[in-house]
Amino acid sequence: MSTMRAVEGWTVKPLERFVNEAGARLTLLMTPAGQVLAQFGFTRAVDVMAAAALGAAIVSSTAEIARLLEEPQFSALNHQGLRHGIFVAGFDSPRGRLLALVVYGTNSSVGLVQLFFEDFVRDLIAACPVPEERRPVLAEDFERELNQSLASLFRS
Amino acid sequence: MSLVNFSAREITCKIVYYGPGRSGKTTNLHYIYGRVPADRRGTMVSLATQTDRTLFFDFLPIELGTISGFATRFQLYSVPGQVYYNATRKLVLQGADGVVFVADSQARQLDENIESLQNLQANLLEQGVDVRAVPLVLQYNKQDLPPELILQQNELDDALNFRGLPSVPADALSGRGVFETLKAISALVLRRLSQESPK
Repeated sequence: MSTMRAVEGWTVKPLERFVNEAGARLTLLMTPAGQVLAQFGFTRAVDVMAAAALGAAIVSSTAEIARLLEEPQFSALNHQGLRHGIFVAGFDSPRGRLLALVVYGTNSSVGLVQLFFEDFVRDLIAACPVPEERRPVLAEDFERELNQSLASLFRS
Repeated sequence: MSLVNFSAREITCKIVYYGPGRSGKTTNLHYIYGRVPADRRGTMVSLATQTDRTLFFDFLPIELGTISGFATRFQLYSVPGQVYYNATRKLVLQGADGVVFVADSQARQLDENIESLQNLQANLLEQGVDVRAVPLVLQYNKQDLPPELILQQNELDDALNFRGLPSVPADALSGRGVFETLKAISALVLRRLSQESPK
């Protein structure tokens, strides 16, 4: 079963290439607010959201420390565990700033991830379309469905 | 910014519970976590101090269901209320699609409520966002306390709600008003997606 999922199609090929080359177990591509654009390796959507929230928090808090130190923004951060390592990095794209959270295992290394991450960023920037004018999404009468959904959510 | 996946027909929105320290922001999230079926919510992540005060944020993802053919997810965040955690409050506020301002109804907390509301305005402005452009709901929490200790909804509206925003009296510990608050902010946030192009 494929565990690759993308909100925006242009991210798929660069992500596929990156996870294959870097040997990443899990990868999230997201906005600084923690909204996921593409993911690899996760099975439950809700776990993805928690990981994205935490990854975005790491990046934003280290950026704030950099600001206090009057340093340019840190480009990447790595934590090495016994069985897994995490690599978190941000980069600028035509879609604005984007973040990546990469989890790798013992079959890979931070060096390998870092090496292919540069290609990943280059591929993403090349594939990224110019942002389109966005259109209304929901129907005017969405509130009836919203009320039904919320009622079922809070049903005891 | 709401994230819309047209191919998978999914919408993800970020809602931030804001307000002064100990007003009940985390309690709202805990109540929602306890009431929502496990298959429609994720793990609640709390970055808290040893005494369970929110240090960075609480985070709870929930699946609202299908609305206009879109599977709709909300990411609920709460910020640390204490004054000296403003740096982290700003970070959590980034990209919020809607804000629930949880006010403490106790009369002696009125100044803290006003200060926190001003802080919300200032932090949004720092991110180039006009507070008037953000869907905002006021929740007046702790309405279960003795009447002599608290301000009533009309009094709190006079003090805090000069824009005539939706306001909900609540007792988040027992759950009163929590659902109504979520419903009100959901409607405001999704209304934007039905009326105008999401930004």
